[in-house]
Amino acid sequence: MLLSFAQWIQATDFFTYLRGSGYVYPCILSMHMVTLAVFGGMILMTDLRMLGWAMSSRPVADVVDQLRMTKRWGLALMATLGVLLACCKAEEYYFNIFFRLKLLLLALIIVHALVFRRTVYAQAAEMDRAGRVPGNAKLAAALSLLLWVGVACMGRGIGYIDPPFGIHAQLWPL
Amino acid sequence: MQIDNPLNASPLAFPILECIHIVGFAVSIGTIAIVDFRLLGIGMRRETPSQILHDTSLWTLGGLVVMLFSGLLLFSSDPDNYYLNYAFDLKMVFFLLAILFHYTVHRKVAQRDSPHGKAVACISLALWTLVVFGGIFIGFLNSTLDIHHI
Repeated sequence: MLLSFAQWIQATDFFTYLRGSGYVYPCILSMHMVTLAVFGGMILMTDLRMLGWAMSSRPVADVVDQLRMTKRWGLALMATLGVLLACCKAEEYYFNIFFRLKLLLLALIIVHALVFRRTVYAQAAEMDRAGRVPGNAKLAAALSLLLWVGVACMGRGIGYIDPPFGIHAQLWPL
Repeated sequence: MQIDNPLNASPLAFPILECIHIVGFAVSIGTIAIVDFRLLGIGMRRETPSQILHDTSLWTLGGLVVMLFSGLLLFSSDPDNYYLNYAFDLKMVFFLLAILFHYTVHRKVAQRDSPHGKAVACISLALWTLVVFGGIFIGFLNSTLDIHHI
């Protein structure tokens, strides 16, 4: 059912046009990478601040709280562009192991947010008052770093549908 | 003269280097963007631009070094092809402009909280955006768009 949805959506006029558009498709991909650089970089810096490795002369709350809205808008833009890209080649991506792993990691990121939002990310000011970052906050930051770097790497992997790996569509036959 | 590049021995080397390249530019461009957004009045407004610049500059430099070295290794896998690729040439031009701008005008303006901050932030973001576009188009010029010069 998911596969027939994928086949239907990529066959719509809009996505057929985008796929064959020459310049428009690479421009969308480029903007997806620009948002990755700008807002992905902000996510990494927030995590690194929590771990005490970057921007340590700034309060944790200044970094976590003030970048929150910027990252949120950036993430919305990045996700929108990503959905456009995925719909262009939905059928191929359905079979693509890297695309599946990327979705899995994104699902884990949602779980991460549900688990740590209240206990860690809403407590930044508390950490500054106490003068130390608790262990669970450092764990949250380290996991976030790994998950986001993983998402970026899986995203790059999607492009390798054909060789060098040649595992596309072989691990999950119809 | 043909030299065997060990990077071409393993099919995994290129994609892994690309991932390192991506993390490198996410850190460098991301930290520069935090300063740019502040100059535009978005994000870390409780800090001055010069405080943010001071706190992120080491990470910016680290990201740039990682990006540059992984980029050189990627280039070394097939230099002829890159040399002939129009998008690669443009990317290098924009990259040099972006680096030059970052360590001259951008740095000065961020350090002195000058009134030209917004214009400088826009130029900085535009230059780095063009570098990323150049990188993506390298792959598309080779395969689909087919408009090599020569």
